[in-house]
Amino acid sequence: MGDIILTMKGIDKSFPGVHALDHVDLEVRKGEVLALMGENGAGKSTLMKVLTGIYKKDSGTITYEGKEIEFKNTREAQDAGIVIVHQELNMLGHLTVAQNLFIGREFKKGIRIDDRKMNEEAKKLFDRLNVDIDPTETMSHLTVGKQQMCEIAKAVSFDAKVIIFDEPSAALTESEIEEMFKIIRDLKKKDIAMVYISHRMDEIKVITDRVTVMRDGAYVGTLITEECTKEDIINMMVGRVIYEEPKTESAVPKDAPVVLKVEHLNAGRMVQDVSFELRKGEILGFSGLMGAGRTETARALFGADPKESGDIYVNGKKVTINNPQDAVNCGIGYLSEDRKRYGIVVQKTVAENTTMASMQDFMNGIFIDKKKETEIADKYVEALATKTPGVDQLVVNLSGGNQQKVVIAKWLTRNSDILIFDEPTRGIDVGAKNEIYKLMNKLVEEGKSIIMISSEMTEILRMSDRIVVMCEGKKTGELDISEAKQETIMNLATREIE
Amino acid sequence: MKVEKIKQNAFVKKVGFNRIVLIFVLILMYLAFGALTGGSFFGVSRITNTLNYVYFLGFLSLGVTFVIATGGIDFSIGPVMYCCALVSGYSLITYGVPMTASLIMSVLIGVVFGVFNGYLVAYWKVPPFIVSMASMNIAKGIAAVFTKTQSVSWPQSSTADGWYRNFVSMNGIPVGLIIFLAVSVICAVVLNKTKWGRYILCLGSNEEAVRLSGVNVKKWKMLAYIICGTLVGIASIFFVAAYTTVQPGYGDQYNNEAIAGCVMGGTSMVGGLASISGTVIGVIIISLLQQGILALGFTKEYQYIITGLIVIAAVYADVSARRRKN
Repeated sequence: MGDIILTMKGIDKSFPGVHALDHVDLEVRKGEVLALMGENGAGKSTLMKVLTGIYKKDSGTITYEGKEIEFKNTREAQDAGIVIVHQELNMLGHLTVAQNLFIGREFKKGIRIDDRKMNEEAKKLFDRLNVDIDPTETMSHLTVGKQQMCEIAKAVSFDAKVIIFDEPSAALTESEIEEMFKIIRDLKKKDIAMVYISHRMDEIKVITDRVTVMRDGAYVGTLITEECTKEDIINMMVGRVIYEEPKTESAVPKDAPVVLKVEHLNAGRMVQDVSFELRKGEILGFSGLMGAGRTETARALFGADPKESGDIYVNGKKVTINNPQDAVNCGIGYLSEDRKRYGIVVQKTVAENTTMASMQDFMNGIFIDKKKETEIADKYVEALATKTPGVDQLVVNLSGGNQQKVVIAKWLTRNSDILIFDEPTRGIDVGAKNEIYKLMNKLVEEGKSIIMISSEMTEILRMSDRIVVMCEGKKTGELDISEAKQETIMNLATREIE
Repeated sequence: MKVEKIKQNAFVKKVGFNRIVLIFVLILMYLAFGALTGGSFFGVSRITNTLNYVYFLGFLSLGVTFVIATGGIDFSIGPVMYCCALVSGYSLITYGVPMTASLIMSVLIGVVFGVFNGYLVAYWKVPPFIVSMASMNIAKGIAAVFTKTQSVSWPQSSTADGWYRNFVSMNGIPVGLIIFLAVSVICAVVLNKTKWGRYILCLGSNEEAVRLSGVNVKKWKMLAYIICGTLVGIASIFFVAAYTTVQPGYGDQYNNEAIAGCVMGGTSMVGGLASISGTVIGVIIISLLQQGILALGFTKEYQYIITGLIVIAAVYADVSARRRKN
């Protein structure tokens, strides 16, 4: 193993209300692939953003090639040889491969762009990496895998000494991944250091030399990949102290009626043959890592996105859901993870948002019955303890937790019996979180049924009666809360090649 | 997260700061033009005379307010108004269609264009800018083909069919003003007190959130364009009642003026925020400004320059107000 090229020591970073990085250490050596692992929100991406100058660290030191450095932006980091290959491809589809590679630093001939020179340079680069891509091809004509190769090639073309891969394989097929690994092994031989962020345990075992694990914004430890098992890594990832007691047993009777049944739901790559049942009065947790297809499942079920196939039964009756209107009429309400975009109309009042889904009940002839509207809004402000100066307050002036309550009020006003909570406490501070939990428990006691999508393990274990685990668009397991453990869930949520 | 609240006087809050400023601007402009023209700009008859020629603009402005409230735009209103006036007028003169039927036809043509624009924007998701640009040309083309590119002269007041001109003014009574204000009140009620207006404003603010609330957003979006088309049709009646002669191939100059009146009144170009009373004051300011410019001895072309600059200024004010909020 080579010399140390990059050391991050005691990196600390706070955002308002969140201690994102708590004195994290990281060490990368020349010619190695270091896996950086951790659950959603463990701080991996934040750490890499601090390294490349997107975020400014609060304290700690970064030593690169023997010198202490601090980049102000990614451009500076690039020039110094530290490059990120992103999970989402940042390519311009209508340009050629070569034009994409050299964007922002085009070769010029006078004032004209020298396309021929760029094509030649791109060809040389691809030859060096043993990649077979035509530089003159239009980017959007390439497969996702090839586009990913271009991203890597672009990183290399910056004379990179450290390349960071942020979930590079998320969109790739098996053979494409294999091809990418070939390139990575090649780069290793050229003494380039690589940081590999991925949730895929099998890849970690194949391609990396060491594994650094993070948890809740802190450094947990580093293992030699060859000497550890998948279980070792998972234990390090989840081995936190749980402050809230997880639910040990479900209070929902085993024979409670099924209010929602979804069979063989298909909607693109992210929702493949998903089936499940939701019983009356239960909270069904949907667990999984980012990009597991949970939100996509919910949106397809709700009719927000088109689905390819699948049957949906509400209270035993088969229903057709082609758009959100159909879903709402079936008594389903969806509370999106992105409230500002999908949940509320921020420039409207609390009252107006409350009646949004049930306008027809608040009409007096052709006029809106403002009095009735105010009454119901007042009722739910009180019942949900929403903190607002009044129901005529614009929702934009409310905090995240209170905005969430307005969305809940909207669906309660509509009298929806099935509620889909997508990341119900994202961006909500701890105190308000507990209130939302209490509220959800109260709702199921009153006979509502809840699907709760959550990326927080503690939330899943604390709230769910049963847990569905998804991974890469497929349902990988279903657990009763009495048999659910962090380790089992994490095992189901990470992919393994049989 | 605490939001600083500016203490506001109850009266200011009720009427709206924006509108108070507008009324102030209106009075100031009136006085300024009066002084500059040596007093010839003053007088009640002068005002109503001026207004007689701009009611149509008021209806256009009211109409486009609904479309802009959805976050859309309609650049076809002027030419569509011309199309209404030309096609029904030509039918009246050449084919002997009765006056009442011709007037109804005017409105219906406006409605048809509203349905057309609205359907393409809401259901086919063609950008409003493109749709309205295209239908502007379609309206011009239809009018020209139908009239064989000849101008159409509606009957004079003295003829038997001349009664339609009473819509603007009858024996000195400003009928046009009364109708315009009445329609404005109806528009304000529709926008603020009914489900139609509620959904139009909400979808202008956040269409996806409204859709995910189970609301048929396409229907309501299309409705905004239909309301607009209807008002454009009505506008055409007031246009011919004031000017009687219509020439094919024109009408686009009124797009800017109507939109200027609308955005000046505080309707936001990004949608979600609209004010009918603001539009009414805004369009009166635009009209006054134009008459004032003419009274000062400038040619019509200067109006175009000033209206263009006003649109930019009003939209910039809206954009920068938003930026401050964020």
